[in-house]
Amino acid sequence: MNPRVLAQLARQLGSLALTLFLSSVVIFCAVLLTPGDPVSAFAGGTRPTPDMIAAIRAEHHLDDPVWLQYLHWAGGVLTGDLGTSYVYRTDVVDLIAPRVGITVLLVAYAVVLIAVFGVGSGIVAATRGRIADRAVLMATSIGMALPTFVVAILLIWIFARVLGWFPVYGAGEGFLDQLYHLTLPAISLAVLYIAYLSRITRGAVVSQLHSEHVETARVRGIPRARIFRRHVFLNASPQILAVSGATVAGLFAVSAIAEQAFGIGGLGSLLTEAAARKDVPVVQVISLLLVVVFVVLNAIADVAIAIIDPDSVKPGRTA
Amino acid sequence: MRTTGITTAALAAGTVLLLLSGCTARDAEPVPTSAAPVDESSLVAALPDATTEVDEVTWGLVEGEPRTLDPAAEYSFVIPNLCESLLQLQPDFTVEPGLATSAEWVDPTTFVIDLREGVTFWDGTPLTPADVVFSMERNRVESSPWFPAFVLVDTIEQTGDHQVTVSFTAPDSTFRDALSSAAGAVVNAAQAQQAGDAFGTASGDILCTGPYELADWTPGTEIVTTANADYWGGAPLTETLRYVFVPDGTTLTTALLEGEIDGAFNVAPGSRSVFESSDEGRLVLGPSTASFSFGPTRSTGAGANPDIRRALSLAIDREQYVQTVLSGLGAPQKTFTPPFAWDGMEAADQYTDAYAALPDVEFDLEAATALVEESGEDLSVPLVVAIPAGAKELAQTAAIIQAAGAQLGLTVEIDERQPADFTEIFFDPAARESIDFVATAGYLDSPGVLGYAQQFLLPPDLGGFFNWSEYSNEAVTGELQVARTTLDPAASADAFIAAQEVFAPDQLQVTLAGAYHLTFLNDGLTGVTTSVAAYSSPWALHLGAE
Repeated sequence: MNPRVLAQLARQLGSLALTLFLSSVVIFCAVLLTPGDPVSAFAGGTRPTPDMIAAIRAEHHLDDPVWLQYLHWAGGVLTGDLGTSYVYRTDVVDLIAPRVGITVLLVAYAVVLIAVFGVGSGIVAATRGRIADRAVLMATSIGMALPTFVVAILLIWIFARVLGWFPVYGAGEGFLDQLYHLTLPAISLAVLYIAYLSRITRGAVVSQLHSEHVETARVRGIPRARIFRRHVFLNASPQILAVSGATVAGLFAVSAIAEQAFGIGGLGSLLTEAAARKDVPVVQVISLLLVVVFVVLNAIADVAIAIIDPDSVKPGRTA
Repeated sequence: MRTTGITTAALAAGTVLLLLSGCTARDAEPVPTSAAPVDESSLVAALPDATTEVDEVTWGLVEGEPRTLDPAAEYSFVIPNLCESLLQLQPDFTVEPGLATSAEWVDPTTFVIDLREGVTFWDGTPLTPADVVFSMERNRVESSPWFPAFVLVDTIEQTGDHQVTVSFTAPDSTFRDALSSAAGAVVNAAQAQQAGDAFGTASGDILCTGPYELADWTPGTEIVTTANADYWGGAPLTETLRYVFVPDGTTLTTALLEGEIDGAFNVAPGSRSVFESSDEGRLVLGPSTASFSFGPTRSTGAGANPDIRRALSLAIDREQYVQTVLSGLGAPQKTFTPPFAWDGMEAADQYTDAYAALPDVEFDLEAATALVEESGEDLSVPLVVAIPAGAKELAQTAAIIQAAGAQLGLTVEIDERQPADFTEIFFDPAARESIDFVATAGYLDSPGVLGYAQQFLLPPDLGGFFNWSEYSNEAVTGELQVARTTLDPAASADAFIAAQEVFAPDQLQVTLAGAYHLTFLNDGLTGVTTSVAAYSSPWALHLGAE
């Protein structure tokens, strides 16, 4: 492997650690700054007496200075203890583990849709003439303007209520049934990103089509399909990949909306609920998980770009 | 009697109705602006018992995933089918024997509970008086939502192979009925002690005697319960009862209409018309103790002034309120104590007559304006109404209060709070300082008239947990104490009614409407309790196919 690629990898790992540390501090403070007392998460249906509130505060170090609270939490994480949910009183791991799979599947499904339809429609727009270009432009304009929850409502109305092709609720059991259940949620997640990636792809491909080396190849009489594969798409792909890394990571965060609309018990819906109830340990762990995913996917995209086009890696460049 | 109905339902509303405000019924047919009135005599407390077995029923919980199944710590429609109470609340709000065959006063301060013989927990171990003592003692701690039921209890002791005796410091007219709520729920002592903190949670376990047993709980996805073949009252006809968590009201509505979920309680009243035109199932309207109201949060400011509350009450058209907020699925209510709360009680006629004698709720802007002028309050200071975020009905309620205030020259601001922030109002006095009113939806989970009265009117040390405006009236306090400590139903009713005549006009809660208990059930299924009793009794005991 190219040594520059390896150096890039090392830098990525270093920046991952730094990013995780900084974001964990920011998230921790952000959760503490939101209104509401974490004690209410413990209280639940009970009516805590002042003594009980004091006991809860002491047990969970809620009266300590913020930095001490953070160290407490971070110390636990570094020793493998992700903490206990304030609301459900179970280990955060036990809460998250059963939900990870379904969210990953939902996001993966959406990614496939985005890759196929986003890149596909972008290429079509760039290469199949004016009418195709206009049509894709119009469709992507609509796609970019539609918020995920609106798409969800539209999809439920058309494909579940009127046509009755897809279920409206839940994640299903077994792989195929899950894919079936996740189809509408994945589409509702994907629409915005398909439109976005389509625009990026179109732009990248068009700029390559007009580049010097493609002109040269054309003059040399190389077949169109081959020019497109070897010269246009390959050269356009770093740009597309760079966007994709961030897109996929973003999908994990947006998945909450689709999960809520389709009644899927995934990570996203747990995060929203935990944030509302001030369940600090749960918010913290899921948020950090999202940060890791974000950084790792971006790193993978960068490495992939470096492999395709080693010249793009300039010294000193980080994620 | 349960005294935390308001908190609970408020909490539930805060956590449960998320997103409802954004998109209720937008995916369905348009909702008519004027909903057909409901004849109260047509309300159904329970559907006919099932006669045919059914393999699996999926039940939607709009309240979301329970935090725990421990009956001492959570309210959830899952729990009453798992963990039974000593007495069994019937759909019509009468009280029948449950795990106890008899539970009676033998003298003014001694209450004897005779346990049903031959009852076993799901694992086959027999129910013992020790389990009953253990379970009651768990509720007899100050932090328990059921503590108010036990305040007059002195000791709880086993007095026989199948008997528990409760001694009191004073007679308690509310105790027997309270045992039909989760205050009287019984868990297995050994298992609860062994499970410790994890008891009832998804990672722990629970052991009770109810008609369904806990089979599996996948966090975020479902709770699976199966028929208890050895249930003392006969095994249910439904083999598997699966609960799924659907906090989004719109998603629940669609899933019910598509038949993907078989039934649910507390469905959105705003979806009334689509439910009524469904060919998949039917909407059942049941009697309830649930009501919508708002009340003061502190002893200072205009909200603490009864004249301002009376004025706001006069400025809100209740018929219109029921139409707008509940789509007609409720009725105006004269005071905070809902009539269904006493429907099954011995002195029901007395309470009904007294209720009838209370002045009707009026809509009179002129009188309201006059009251505001006479109040002497500084109208330039805005009044703040707190509501839980995402609770559509309460958001509408707050908007209606705001509009009523505007008519009277009062500025009303709405403070929509996230669950953690909203819950804080109920236990932190400092959190109440910046608000004037809190709007809530509450219900009473067992028969009794004293629940709200004690919470809102008595001094805090006598049980006035929500008496935040520091209401104090010696006559009212005296009569309420007499009502509580008089075992003779007629005499107890007389005392309550005497107090009610004094406190009702002060509107410690401005009660806006009583709401019916809403159940949507798939066609072909039957046997469900469709009244508010479903919060306390095994509502799916007779569930099955028609």
